Amino acid sequence: MSAIIPGVLLALAAVFLVLHPILTGREASMEWDKEELTEAQHRRNVALLALRDVEYDFHAGKLDERDYRAMKQEISSEALDAIDEEEAEWHARGVEGVELAVPGASEGLEAEIAALRASIREGIVCPQCGHPNPRGSRFCGDCGSALPARTGATESVAGGS
Amino acid sequence: MIPALGEVALWIALPISIWGCVLAFLGGRWSRGDLVLSGERSTFAVTALLSIAALGVVVAFMGDQFQYWYVYNYSSTNLHPYYKFSGLWAGQRGSLLFWGLNLSLFSSLALWMNRSRNRDLMPYVNGVLLAFLAFFISISLFVTPPFEQLGFTPTDGRGLNPQLQNYWMTIHPPTMYLGFTSFTVPFAFAMSALMVGRLDARWIQATRKWILTSWFFLSLAVIFGMRWAYEELGWGGYWFWDPVENASLLPWLVATAFLHSVMIQESTGMLKVWNMGLVVLTFLMTIFATFLTRSGLIESVHSFAQNLTIAWIFLGCLGVTGGVALVLIIWRLPLLSSDRQFESMLSRESAFLLNNLVLLGVAFAVTWGTLFPLITEGLTGSKVSVGPPFFNQVNIPIGLILLALMGIGPVIAWRRASPRNLRRNFLFPCAVFLGILTILFSVGVRHFYALLTFSLGAFVLTVIVVEFWKGTRARARIEEENSFTAFVHLIRRNRRRWGGYIVHVGVVIMFMGFAGTAYDREVRQSMVPGETLTIQSPFGYEYALTYQGLSTTLVPSMRQAIALFTVQKDGVDIGSITTERQLVLAVNPPQPISQVGVRSTLVEDLYLILATVDDAVLLGSNDPQFQRATFQVLVNPLVPWIWYGGLILATGALIGLWPGAGAPTRSARMGSRGGASTGTGAPGVGPNGEASSTDLSTSVSATVG
Repeated sequence: MSAIIPGVLLALAAVFLVLHPILTGREASMEWDKEELTEAQHRRNVALLALRDVEYDFHAGKLDERDYRAMKQEISSEALDAIDEEEAEWHARGVEGVELAVPGASEGLEAEIAALRASIREGIVCPQCGHPNPRGSRFCGDCGSALPARTGATESVAGGS
Repeated sequence: MIPALGEVALWIALPISIWGCVLAFLGGRWSRGDLVLSGERSTFAVTALLSIAALGVVVAFMGDQFQYWYVYNYSSTNLHPYYKFSGLWAGQRGSLLFWGLNLSLFSSLALWMNRSRNRDLMPYVNGVLLAFLAFFISISLFVTPPFEQLGFTPTDGRGLNPQLQNYWMTIHPPTMYLGFTSFTVPFAFAMSALMVGRLDARWIQATRKWILTSWFFLSLAVIFGMRWAYEELGWGGYWFWDPVENASLLPWLVATAFLHSVMIQESTGMLKVWNMGLVVLTFLMTIFATFLTRSGLIESVHSFAQNLTIAWIFLGCLGVTGGVALVLIIWRLPLLSSDRQFESMLSRESAFLLNNLVLLGVAFAVTWGTLFPLITEGLTGSKVSVGPPFFNQVNIPIGLILLALMGIGPVIAWRRASPRNLRRNFLFPCAVFLGILTILFSVGVRHFYALLTFSLGAFVLTVIVVEFWKGTRARARIEEENSFTAFVHLIRRNRRRWGGYIVHVGVVIMFMGFAGTAYDREVRQSMVPGETLTIQSPFGYEYALTYQGLSTTLVPSMRQAIALFTVQKDGVDIGSITTERQLVLAVNPPQPISQVGVRSTLVEDLYLILATVDDAVLLGSNDPQFQRATFQVLVNPLVPWIWYGGLILATGALIGLWPGAGAPTRSARMGSRGGASTGTGAPGVGPNGEASSTDLSTSVSATVG
């Protein structure tokens, strides 16, 4: 019996809490959050992670050099595709000037992206190993092979996005 | 008053959960933020209400309010407060409420963690969670009411089953519930992703840590259960392939398969249907386990009274949940197609896939063995039992394949591996395998499975140690760190990989502990005080146990006989050991229980059971003529390794679970933006890429994690 009054109060409190948003029009966020990764960003992260794994496997002696180069090129091109797509996503949202502020990324990743991005725009992606090289490079900083003229190389790897 | 308020709270929780469930789905469907918010608040409200209800049960227990059926049947005035508190989950009625409470806490946590993430998924996630909350609250209200009153107030309760009066009672069941209930969250995410049709990798990301959390709790719970059985049940072992033990193992097996195959989906976008299926299956297995435990249909040490209503309800839940999940998966099949094909049979992907098939094979065998008696009884009416021989015969070989895979997987590269590299990498571990095999054989180990387990175990450990060594060496060289720092950083930079390897080390040690069973020694002897019994350890020692006598204790609630032994190991005194037998009178009918005596060393346990004692002793006679008793003495080699292995496994899982170097703060990102935009060089990927690529892993794991 003694529980009747507290019980009624409890029920009222619960009902009030639950009905409050509908009565007052308060809304839960239904929006995509700036902090959240988009699908393209996620794919890019996955590609960069795969790149890391491949490198680890190579350095741990699990991969042949030839396979390593081929895979690295493959994955770099996946990463570049994802980055292109990501850029398109940003533009589609009308967000300008925050291209590099990738949510959830920290310095290492930012630098990585910056490098890949720069090599798309102006640098040279090595056709042998997929390593992004700064503008003006004549030889690949990774595998040492001679780099072809800028535009061709970039398209051959980054194309298809 | 608080128990009464608890009952009211439980009643209020039902309409609130139903309301919230409906509004969450409608809010998601119509993109109405106010409805969604109302749905989310319902979950928080239900959590608060269930907490009050659970508090009500606890207060009723602590205050000896025997007018409640549940308290009357599971407590008594002389019960230790420790066990009065655990009364909340001691019986069917409380444990289903406790289940609901855990689920509501996890649901609230999931909502709070995703308050500004995955907003398109969350309404449906919340809807699914509330549907299950409403389900458990309904059972609590209408089928197993914890607050049902007797109509009179007995002066004392019937007492708690003495076998449950063990400190593990406060640890093992809650851990199991945490494991089971937390798996509802990933399931809800999976269902939500199917409903919304957003089947990219993000739902996997959102649930990865949840699944690892459930897995962590399930692992601990299974190990705790083994330990409890070992200490309390007194048959000398830790695992009996009891139906409920099996039931707890099933979700663990499927979740383990998922933890491996999800990595393939994350890195390559393959196996989407498979992974979805595994998440659903794991969740169904948790309900199946509940069904087996709660229905009491199969005889087990966990026997809850047989309750056909509960059996049908959980069976129905299993059917409906499985059916809905199946329909959703079929509906979304076009969105679940793989992004690519397997590149090579010789790759870590295929090793993982094989691991999946093996784990599911074990799960299938265990399910079959567990259900076979039930099915046979249903069809023919005759009782059959499927005992440990069946499970061991089937599962030991499969377990060995699994063990071998643990060593093979890490050495194979992702995507495609070359046979030449494999040969090179396997050379040393294989040499260790053969070396250990030869040494063990030459010292007389002839048991085929044990021999294979130890040698394969050594093979896996070698592979893992080499992995750590190579990683540390590379890092130390590139970062110019000392080995220790490099080692710590290596783990921190890719917690999942290295945490996973540590889990593997734990599993290997546990497997070796299991294999020790092949060399169990046992002596059973009737003795009078002064007599000495000797037993050989497989490690070559001889234990001599001298029976000193029995002492008896008589209190109104129980009769207790304690036997004292002094122990010598190879002629040297190493102390004493006691073992007891009790007849608990506080329950009706009186129940005998045993407390085994265990002396543990690093490599073996000396395990002593007081098997039978003259009834006169338990009736209080201290007459020397009744001091004759029968003892069972066992030497269980390597059993301690199971617990050490469990500890290592838990440590590995925690490393994988530990929050990342932290989701970077906004200011950190702003800072890095400037730095990165000027960095047009190629810092990441190069021959010395190991260093920067591990940096990359931190940021990525912080992101993905």
